[in-house]
Amino acid sequence: MSKPLKDKAKEEMQDWQVMFAEWANEAPEGPLKRFYQAGMIAPETALRDTPLLALDLETTGLDPSKDEIISLGLIPLNHQIIRCQGAQYWMAKPERSLNAESVTIHEITHSELAEAPPLHAILDDILVALTHQVVVVHCVAIERQFLLEAAMKVYGYPLYFPVIDTMDIERQVTFKPWWKRFGRQPSLRLDACRQRYKLPRYKAHHALTDALSSAELLQAQIAHHMDPNAAISRYWV
Amino acid sequence: MDVELTEILEALCQHAPFNEIADDPQLNDMTKEIEIQYVRAGEWVIAPSALNNTLFFIRSGAIEVLSKENKLIRRMNEGELFGYFSLLRGGKSSQSMRTIEDSLLYRIPARWFLKLYEENDAFSDFFQLAREVRLRVAMDSQSSDVSLMTCPVVSLLRRPPISADISSDILTSAQIMAEHRVSSLLITENDELIGIVTDRDLRTRAVAKGLAYDTSVADIMTRDPIVMDSGDYASEAVLKMMERNVHHIPIVKNGRPIGVVSTGDIIQKESHGSVYLISDIYKQTSIEGLKSISRKMTHTFTHLVVADANTQMIGNAMSHIGTAFVKRLLQLAEEKFGPPPVPYCFIALGSQAREEQTIKTDQDNALILSDKYDKQLHGEYFEALTDWVCRHLDDCGYDLCSGDIMASNPRWRQPLSVWKDNFSEWIQKPKAEALLRLSIFFDLRGIYGDKTLAKQLNQHIRQEAKQHSGFLTFMARNANQRKPPLGFFRQFVLDGEGKQSRTFNLKERGIAPIIDIVRVHALACGSDKLNTLERIEDIDAAGLLPDGRAKDLALALEMIGMVRIRHQKEQIEAGEEPNNHVNPENLSSFEKRHLRDAFHIVSRQQEFIKFRYAGKRS
Repeated sequence: MSKPLKDKAKEEMQDWQVMFAEWANEAPEGPLKRFYQAGMIAPETALRDTPLLALDLETTGLDPSKDEIISLGLIPLNHQIIRCQGAQYWMAKPERSLNAESVTIHEITHSELAEAPPLHAILDDILVALTHQVVVVHCVAIERQFLLEAAMKVYGYPLYFPVIDTMDIERQVTFKPWWKRFGRQPSLRLDACRQRYKLPRYKAHHALTDALSSAELLQAQIAHHMDPNAAISRYWV
Repeated sequence: MDVELTEILEALCQHAPFNEIADDPQLNDMTKEIEIQYVRAGEWVIAPSALNNTLFFIRSGAIEVLSKENKLIRRMNEGELFGYFSLLRGGKSSQSMRTIEDSLLYRIPARWFLKLYEENDAFSDFFQLAREVRLRVAMDSQSSDVSLMTCPVVSLLRRPPISADISSDILTSAQIMAEHRVSSLLITENDELIGIVTDRDLRTRAVAKGLAYDTSVADIMTRDPIVMDSGDYASEAVLKMMERNVHHIPIVKNGRPIGVVSTGDIIQKESHGSVYLISDIYKQTSIEGLKSISRKMTHTFTHLVVADANTQMIGNAMSHIGTAFVKRLLQLAEEKFGPPPVPYCFIALGSQAREEQTIKTDQDNALILSDKYDKQLHGEYFEALTDWVCRHLDDCGYDLCSGDIMASNPRWRQPLSVWKDNFSEWIQKPKAEALLRLSIFFDLRGIYGDKTLAKQLNQHIRQEAKQHSGFLTFMARNANQRKPPLGFFRQFVLDGEGKQSRTFNLKERGIAPIIDIVRVHALACGSDKLNTLERIEDIDAAGLLPDGRAKDLALALEMIGMVRIRHQKEQIEAGEEPNNHVNPENLSSFEKRHLRDAFHIVSRQQEFIKFRYAGKRS
């Protein structure tokens, strides 16, 4: 676990500041345009100066093209501290009805959701919360894709933002080339990663708890593997 | 939408003091202002002399607390709080905190701590008590001289010893004493202490007898005076003075005298009732007199508890009082039945032998007779003597032993050679059942008569035990018989049925298991100590336990012992018979938490000896 993270090759480095500026021009008038217009921090900003926001979604299934977001939790942090004060949580009523299976996973019931507003009514607020933040998630593929699909549906234009992926960080620090491997690669599930850092076990599948979970995991990863003085471009994807 | 950080709130409410105020709606608002911090092992959370403005809650991991002098004060684990001490003092921290494991900490803003402290009694009570206990720890670690019971004798010394060579005459000796304004003079030969001369000696042995000024000081000095070690407690010096009727005791360190403690020093230091109680015991000439003193014992006991004596000191004082009763009764018995026809040694067993007696104890004793003993000739004398003594000990509050382990039982009144054979039999052919009853005999102290008999027997026991490892296996197994009351879910498990069904027995399930564990190790390393804490020191020195574990045992013993003593004091004050049955509902959450930790230590150490002395499996 003591392996330092590798520097990214130059060509891999993304400049979200430049991309946000481009999208700010292209995006249709409205909340999403304002989101991009607010801009993004420069890639050379140090990790210690980066505003971070841990995020987790619960959905009706795993397919971003078909399934829908039913809850979303956010919790702000920096490289040293998680601030409960800025925590936010939304539930969203899906357009299609919930299937029984996902209900049991999330412990969110039909009646709770029936009273929640639809996603399009809260997406504006979510965009305000995400403004100018680097988002922390465990497994970038799911969260970013679901929000992208949602924005397409609501605003007709994609939502995209820089992410620090705790799963990807864990993959890099636990990676061993095949000739050094013995048996299986270590698990990259959130709970398994947390246990490697002696973090407490939480009940999974509540968006806010899971956001807190990945926020704490990032704290541990920063303490063990990451350099707070390094540029954020080294870590974001 | 209303945000609820259930995970955080639930974690807090599993632990004191939050569990007691879990229904306070403010707690949810408080959690919203918590900050979470992950700290790697070995880093400062509150650095030395740093200001602190946060109440810390250990969500996972462990912290150590260090004093200003960088000495380890204690360790804290999951669910414990720290930093409040400095919050109550405007942020200044006298202690520093460092992680010893990777830790996840909740930082609760000072504002919330002070608000709850102000508004909620259950909340502030928790910190009040924690503060008291911590003060006690801080006091102990400084060996402060608040009372005779807790200060080492060395703290009474006011100057280096004044001494004269053995070749001096009486006049020179008196002149030295006058010059230095001291009431005693150490007499040395080749720089070694061989005697002491006091004001009283000059008066009664020189002047009153009309000795010439040039008489050698050797003629009036007391040879080989009683000395004490610099590490002994001041109270022991007092006890010794009372017992031996001396007013000066030289204190030695590594064999060299470093000063003299006089009764004057002691009186200046203010003293407690127990020492006077002992001198009273020796003045009594009748059973009635002794009985009336025994009725004051509860008072002495509560006095000691109130005076903040630790369990070691209280055990020591109560044992010395118990021993004084035995000795005085034997002196009276010898007046009544005549001098003993052959030498004997009256021995204390169990807690009295370990000097760990508490207020309510049965008598456990026995008699070692010289091998010159002839039953035909001497049997009657010792039967009468021991019957009389045990019966009157009962009158003085030391109940007859329910297991009949008393000197009045002919089975436990034997010549030395028979005792040795008994022990050889027990050790060489151990039987688990029998040893369970006999373990008390492995804490054996001669308290009256020819103490060399007890010494010889103890030596015999140590030699035999060391040579027969199978015996230790049995003792280790027996030490695992009584389990601390820790349930599967880290809850307390309660003992028994009926009236005491809501309680558990602190002695049986906490103190006795520790004593048993320590006895096994002590026998294994051939320690000649009897007191459990002294045994722990020997065990630690012998390296039988991993680093820090010996200290853990001592702490667990002190913690459980303290709860027991406070419980007994409360019972006495409520006019009840003191016992060892504690109702967990009457414990503060602080006591519960620490008891639970202590029981965990006991439990782990029981596991450890099982393997350490596993023996050969058949």
